[in-house]
Amino acid sequence: MSFLELQNLEKSFGDTRVVKDFNLNVAKGEFISLLGPSGCGKTTVLRMVAGFEAPTSGRISVDGKDITRLRANQRNVGMVFQSYALFPNLTVAQNVGFGLKVAGVPKSERNPRIADMLALIGLPDLGDRYPWQLSGGQQQRVALARALAPKPQMLLLDEPLSALDAKVRVSLRNQIREIQQQLGITTIFVTHDQEEAMAISDRIVVMHQGVADQIAAPQDIYNRPSTEFVAGFVGTLNRLTADVLDPETGHIRIGGSEITLGQPLPAGRVTLSARPEAFRLAATGIAAQVTKVEFLGALISVAAQIDDTPVSFVLFNGGDDPVPEPGSRIHLQIAPSRLLIKQAA
Amino acid sequence: MSFLLSTLRRRLSLKRLQRRGGPRPKSGNGFRRFWSWTALIVGGLYFFLPLIGTLEFSLRMRRGEYSLDAYRSVLEDPRFQQTLGYSVIMALATIVVGILIVVPTAYWVRLRLPRWRPVIEFITLLPLVIPAIVVVFGYIRLFNTSSFLPMTGTTMGTNILLMFGYVMLALPYTYRAVDTGLSTIDVRSLTEAAQSLGASWVTIIGRLILPNVFGAVMSGAFLSFAIVIGEFTMASLLNRPAFGPYMQILGANRAYEPAALAVIAFAITWACMGLLSLVTRITRVGRAGK
Ligand SMILES: Nc1ncnc2c1ncn2[C@@H]1O[C@H](COP(=O)(O)OP(=O)(O)O)[C@@H](O)[C@H]1O
Ligand SMILES: [Mg+2]
Repeated sequence: MSFLELQNLEKSFGDTRVVKDFNLNVAKGEFISLLGPSGCGKTTVLRMVAGFEAPTSGRISVDGKDITRLRANQRNVGMVFQSYALFPNLTVAQNVGFGLKVAGVPKSERNPRIADMLALIGLPDLGDRYPWQLSGGQQQRVALARALAPKPQMLLLDEPLSALDAKVRVSLRNQIREIQQQLGITTIFVTHDQEEAMAISDRIVVMHQGVADQIAAPQDIYNRPSTEFVAGFVGTLNRLTADVLDPETGHIRIGGSEITLGQPLPAGRVTLSARPEAFRLAATGIAAQVTKVEFLGALISVAAQIDDTPVSFVLFNGGDDPVPEPGSRIHLQIAPSRLLIKQAA
Repeated sequence: MSFLLSTLRRRLSLKRLQRRGGPRPKSGNGFRRFWSWTALIVGGLYFFLPLIGTLEFSLRMRRGEYSLDAYRSVLEDPRFQQTLGYSVIMALATIVVGILIVVPTAYWVRLRLPRWRPVIEFITLLPLVIPAIVVVFGYIRLFNTSSFLPMTGTTMGTNILLMFGYVMLALPYTYRAVDTGLSTIDVRSLTEAAQSLGASWVTIIGRLILPNVFGAVMSGAFLSFAIVIGEFTMASLLNRPAFGPYMQILGANRAYEPAALAVIAFAITWACMGLLSLVTRITRVGRAGK
């Protein structure tokens, strides 16, 4: 049985349905990300779980108990906000100990717990500071410690890294994941950054206009997107239109070139969708002209045009192929197993 | 409107240029400085001449020399001590009740009723446009001995009525101060963070909201204090022994003492203002001392 269950969750503000028939089962200790563009309803789902919004209909249960109507301060859920939301009048230690104090934990038990939490987030000496004396990354770590100190049943994070700069963002997301695994705490993490979601989640819920389009492990989301939206939102997707010349062998024409995919295809026109890593350079194949080469370190990102259709793909730095120059003519092969094929309208 | 704004913006950027060390129009600057000094001096005379006159007069009770006789006479008057004591207690009660009403209201409006903020703000401004005398007559009609709530029937009831009148008089200042204080914190996130940690409303308002708007609450409190100490109309019409009516009675019957009293009242008000700016400065240093 799953630990957290969201059943047919709906939320409307006035006439606008913001969350539609949302279903999600989260196992104990699982790390789930809600991923989607701004305004798709991620925060609203999280706030319903936290108890800050009442669902219009549907059911939320934790460990088999219905908590749909339970007030936020009775839910024992840890929450981390994008704006940190540390209490400015309290020191770091008082912030971390706030939940324990509210729960009536005596000082003799509170202090060691606060020290443990500060050690966990790697800020053991900053207990006496005030929030405004800390950097953004430190403040967010304190907010994490504050949320975890009362041993909540669940940890909810709403875009906790969005206000931080890129370097801190990466190191803090890894730290969040490490702490989550160490404590084995069930976690829901809201983000609009697909790389972030990919890097640290057990499973990802891709949301689109209030609906969960796909709920799956990161690799499955990336390799087997279940809707057009998921395919386009997660990772880069190249779309090519092709005429099928021989449906049985999969012989097709793209632009001025003809290739054989070696698998049966529907007759007529098809759309091929391919990730950047599905392409490789070859002596023959689809003719293209390089427009831009971007050196990224381990990878080299190449933009090219097949007739008038732009494509982008990646090469390994130090691979056998020479790096093409902008303006040069190249030939591309596509790995058929990495293709999504659809009949064109 | 937009024209004004753009003009303003152009002037500002011009100023910025000048500050960067561009050529300064020397003569124009001197001209402007002359007028601002003139304005300051005229304003200063307007404020201080009557005060100095009063002070000088209050020292002339003894013929032919300056003395503090008038002050001694005032301070030794038992009615001075009684009325001042009464007004100080009323002021403290006004402050406490005012905080208990204003802080939760302003907080709730910001948290849950943001659309009602202009309406609430307008209501809090009403005491500035409705004369106190109108309010008192309203009170007396509503709460007289033959009404559903005969508050004017007992001394305590009248005191409480007067205190609520004071709370209302101070509302434009206290509400504004507290609301401005609340605007400096993220009310919603802090509330939700506290709720998710298990805090009740009382805990949230008492331990988080109030301490974070402490400076604002204190400035509201000192303004309330100054208003209550000097208030005449309400106390007089409700026939309570407050400091305001005492000043009036003394003024009608004596020559030098009222001047001394005026100076004392001024000193009290100024002390309030001094404390106000001191407290505001201290809390600000504590918070944003970065
Ligand atoms: N309290 C509210 N009242 C009205 N509309 C709201 C409210 N909260 C959110 N919305 C609307 O619901 C939609 C989803 O919001 P949200 O859950 O915050 O999206 P996300 O977190 O994915 O960016 C948005 O269109 C937003 O305008
Ligand atoms: Mg959001």
